[in-house]
Amino acid sequence: MSAGNGRQPDKTYWRSLEQVQGDSRATEFLHREFPEGASEAPPALLEDGLSRRSVLAMLGSTASLAGLAGCDVIRRPVEHIVPYVDAPEGMVPGIPLAYATTMPFGNRALGLILKSHEGRPTKVEGNELHPFSGGASGVWAQSSILDLYDPDRSKTVRFGDQASSWNDFVSAWTEGDLAPAADGAGLAVLAEPSSSPTLLRLKSALLERYPQARWVTWQPVSDENADRGLESAAGDHFHALFHLDAAQVLLSLDSDFLSTEGDSVRNLRGYARARRVGDNGASEMLRHYAVDGVHSVTSANADHRLRVQSGRVAAFVAQLGHAVAAHGLELPLNGGVPAADIDDAWVQAVAQDLVDHRGAGLIVAGDRQPAEVHAAVYALNSALGNVGATVTYHQTPDTGSSSDAALTDLVAAMNEGAVDRLLVLEANPVYSAPADLDFAAALENLNSAGAVIHVGTHRDETSRYARWHVPLAHYLESWGDARATDGAASVVQPLIEPLYGGRSAVEVLALAALGEARDGRDLVRETWSELLGLPLDDGAGAEAPVQEDADAAAADGSEEADAPPVDPMSLPFPVALSEFEVAWRRVLHDGVQDGSAAPAAELATVTPEDCAAAVRAAGDAANPVVEGEELEVVFRCSAAVFDGRFANNGWLQELPDPITKLTWDNAALISPATATALGLENEDLVTVSRGERELEMPVWLVPGQADHTVTIDLGYGRDFDGRIASSANDEDHNPGRNAYLLRTSDALHVGRCALRASGGSYALAQTQDHHSMEGRPIVREAALDYFEEHPDFATAHSEKPHENSMWDEWTYKDSPQWGMTIDLNACVGCNACVIACQSENNIPIVGKEQVREGREMHWLRIDRYFSSEGESDGLVDDLPHDPQTNFQPVPCMHCENAPCEQVCPVSATVHDDEGLNAMVYNRCIGTRYCSNNCPYKVRRFNYFNFTKDTPEVMHLGKNPDVTIRSRGVMEKCTYCVQRISRAKVDAKQDGRPLADGDVVTACQQACPAEAIRFGDITDAASQVVEAKTSPRNYNLLDELHTKPRTTYLAKIRHPNREIVPAPAPVEDHGAADDASHGEDAH
Amino acid sequence: MREAMRFHRRNRRLAAAALAAPLLLLGCRGMPSPYPPIHLNPNMDYQERYDPQEASGFFYDGMAMRQPVAGTVARGQLDIDHRLLFGRDDDGYFLEGSPIPVTDEVLDRGRSRYTIYCQPCHDERGTGQGILFERAGTPTASLHDERVAGYNDGRLYDVITNGSGLMAGYRYPLKTEDRWAVVAYVRDLQQERRTMQAERDARQ
Repeated sequence: MSAGNGRQPDKTYWRSLEQVQGDSRATEFLHREFPEGASEAPPALLEDGLSRRSVLAMLGSTASLAGLAGCDVIRRPVEHIVPYVDAPEGMVPGIPLAYATTMPFGNRALGLILKSHEGRPTKVEGNELHPFSGGASGVWAQSSILDLYDPDRSKTVRFGDQASSWNDFVSAWTEGDLAPAADGAGLAVLAEPSSSPTLLRLKSALLERYPQARWVTWQPVSDENADRGLESAAGDHFHALFHLDAAQVLLSLDSDFLSTEGDSVRNLRGYARARRVGDNGASEMLRHYAVDGVHSVTSANADHRLRVQSGRVAAFVAQLGHAVAAHGLELPLNGGVPAADIDDAWVQAVAQDLVDHRGAGLIVAGDRQPAEVHAAVYALNSALGNVGATVTYHQTPDTGSSSDAALTDLVAAMNEGAVDRLLVLEANPVYSAPADLDFAAALENLNSAGAVIHVGTHRDETSRYARWHVPLAHYLESWGDARATDGAASVVQPLIEPLYGGRSAVEVLALAALGEARDGRDLVRETWSELLGLPLDDGAGAEAPVQEDADAAAADGSEEADAPPVDPMSLPFPVALSEFEVAWRRVLHDGVQDGSAAPAAELATVTPEDCAAAVRAAGDAANPVVEGEELEVVFRCSAAVFDGRFANNGWLQELPDPITKLTWDNAALISPATATALGLENEDLVTVSRGERELEMPVWLVPGQADHTVTIDLGYGRDFDGRIASSANDEDHNPGRNAYLLRTSDALHVGRCALRASGGSYALAQTQDHHSMEGRPIVREAALDYFEEHPDFATAHSEKPHENSMWDEWTYKDSPQWGMTIDLNACVGCNACVIACQSENNIPIVGKEQVREGREMHWLRIDRYFSSEGESDGLVDDLPHDPQTNFQPVPCMHCENAPCEQVCPVSATVHDDEGLNAMVYNRCIGTRYCSNNCPYKVRRFNYFNFTKDTPEVMHLGKNPDVTIRSRGVMEKCTYCVQRISRAKVDAKQDGRPLADGDVVTACQQACPAEAIRFGDITDAASQVVEAKTSPRNYNLLDELHTKPRTTYLAKIRHPNREIVPAPAPVEDHGAADDASHGEDAH
Repeated sequence: MREAMRFHRRNRRLAAAALAAPLLLLGCRGMPSPYPPIHLNPNMDYQERYDPQEASGFFYDGMAMRQPVAGTVARGQLDIDHRLLFGRDDDGYFLEGSPIPVTDEVLDRGRSRYTIYCQPCHDERGTGQGILFERAGTPTASLHDERVAGYNDGRLYDVITNGSGLMAGYRYPLKTEDRWAVVAYVRDLQQERRTMQAERDARQ
């Protein structure tokens, strides 16, 4: 456990173990922005010939040089103007339109707004009208735009090895050999969980038509345990919805509800609001305790963290149950011997806090924890009066929750020959099913007698075993619908016709269930006719002109020769929309059906006896402490590629993990103490073995990881023709290792393994040492009580800048003057802003070798700092043990007195009159002086032309408002200058002045925590000025007198003084060293 | 001596070549060429992205611009008010009056849109004697014609939206509200003309 004691100066902040230990490579990154040799060609190119990803990078440069040799290339290319033949109404070329749609994710949904340039979606934003988005979004929603334009997507229906067609597939199903038996015997559907009302309707239709058919819902990483636990405790299938903004004490148990689990965007918004501090200091701030063995975004943001092995969290729950009973909660529990590995004083303090805040506390268990823990957590929440206040339960119709048992049954049936038609909808079981099931063998077995039909976005591991493969349309190109956790229903609106002729899941299922190929839009509209309670009236409507009336009238006119000819235009023409049509269009427009959320279910309070029983059951479910030779292994979904479905997404592969900062790879994560015991170092290759199953992978040391525990991210080591996710002929450049090979039915989340060094090492690309700022006081933080006494702590100890500049300083007279604040107290390091920036600003993917050279191009990076209290506290045998974690997003500071501008020999970086530090790409000759002189290290240099040779389909998704930078050009954050210009033009067209909130930068828009504010700093009423007048506001590296326009609000922690006593009052910060705080984790 | 002479001669030849080179290049100015111009420094002029109206080899029709998917609704284009959208009432007859209140701002907007989109044919005063009629003799209706003046507002809106005879529809460049603003402005033009005519008649 560890917590902020309040003051800054006695903490040591460090970014990586190498930095603590003075490793040469980290020091090199510190002193040189790019390491020795980084300016030369990648070694892979020189030694091994052309490697796959270096080809992407190198082709750009060679082509541009070769350009000068051939005469044709020196001529201006012939370009054609291709205007619309039939221009759509309401669209002006060059001005993007916005469409509301929904991203379905398992049985959850996130409302989105898609920006569409001339009918091509280019940017994902959150839908402010959708209650689960509130205008924000997460990394997976942001990066889904790149998945849409993935050149490796499956492009055609396939029958065996041959290209086929949808019509052939339809006839094979309806009258050919695919047609299932009349009662559906032998037919099985394997689908992922979904809350789509249309899919649910078709599922019911299928099971009605084929009563013997089998429907299996399964996803490799799911909330199945939470579902089962809740079902056993509450008696029915419920979805939990957290109301974190109403909570004052939060205990998270091995949960990552802020990043990879549950409704993370909504949770994060509530969490950040609950932790917001009034600037007078007097406020009630959420206190967050975390218990886990895996360092996740969620536990990294906790005020107190207790490190225990994942299998011991159940034991913690039991101990907590006894502790709350001891602190006054009426529970028939007594006795209860504290476990040796769980600090009882800590548990008692947490229990006291929870009991003190009945009805305002919340316990959250993670998806990896067994059902017993979820049942006990539900019972404790109920006994503490939290149910109904900080957590509500909703009965949302869905196609069923994921079930590993059902999958096991299915495999058994397949092996017995009881299944002869298997329809795999979206899932990829050959890759991700538990290894002991041997799904591939079962499929081969089935194919000899029947047929496997795979419906997926890629020709992946599973489609290799399928007789039929149908390309699945991306959600941005298909009609569909989804419900959020509380039942709020919304429609998935397509943004573009399927690029590769894919079919949506509902269309394929309609063929199976209704026996005919149906249009996705009609299917969804039929469902919504029921949902809205309005009859579907397709005959009327604006698009259906009725010509007969006019003709008939004209005919009538000719019969009566003396009557004046009737002007056909004066005849009535029905245009009024049906009630359904009006309601339907409103849903499409808003992106959510008003009032469709289900009210919270009324649940009976759990009796003290039942609660005590649930607590005891959790205790019984706990694993023994893992010690000695054996290690505990934890499988978790990756914070980047999830369960592997996003593995072919370059943005996500290159996205640094929030904690480890690794890119392009997964690794066996172990604690420094375990590494020392095993004699391992970062990047050493080890063999992880579970019985017969072995996997060789590199290790990575993570401070804060439980000892004797190995954590492995799932979702890497894919094996299919995806140029990002895998490479069949280039083993060395395959991102990561496939941890599913070790994952068996008896250890889906937590198991035992052995680890042994297998010799050699494997180069990993991590970004933590890159762009370092020389160990200056960068992040500033304080405990809440210290802040209340010293509201000026953020600036009190900082070195005063000298006020005299070598240069004539700029004067800024006009409005607006742009500025930004980043609230470190709100930021949890979720990475949404990084991907949003990459998407908005056409930032390239550079590949693993380039990341290793420190050449990643993210304009906005998130620095992760660990801190240990005192000089050596928190370090055991000089190894960090229980560090605290800080996250700090760093974009360009847009200094008023910018050091980069002073050294540019060609005036490529200049200031504009609104305070923007602008880059003129055409002037840049690539000296990189600016980057060397930038104290914040926010400038990025294009060592290669990373975009030039990308497939044409990827150009469709680029933002046309932003220049794509060529080789040899420096680039950096522009404050989204294209958005500023757009807002100015819009305001001018409307004839009004620019208002606060008109300009929203991409990072600000995406941020679920509302940490980023942007606006005019000369407008006293603006949000950004309000933030900048906070006492927590400080300038980064103020002593350099750069006068940055981007400033930070210092972080506040809310430690429990029962666990970490308040420091002795000291006036002089130099005397703080004697304040020590029993820092022992166990 | 001979050495110096040779050196001198070579220098002279070089100087001539140096003079001729720019002359050659200058000589090419203004001469027709089947090839596109020489463009030595690409300098990010041609971008791996699609600007409006660019061609794309990815789609079968060669266009990078796509049609929105049929039946989708963009933000701000809810379009459920048939009176506003089609200028017709619940029974399908053209509206007599405008569905939006006519204010000074609307008239100003109408005038500015009229000046941009209508004036080239219909003339500043709506006489149908605009520059296109003048130069090309394009037959253009006068807005003061008895027939046109007799149109109700809904009908006038329909003509602007969908066109009539030779006139193209203006639904693409003019937003719905702008079309109604133009209707209001045209009504103003017609009224002004009638009033002035009446005054003239009264004077005579």
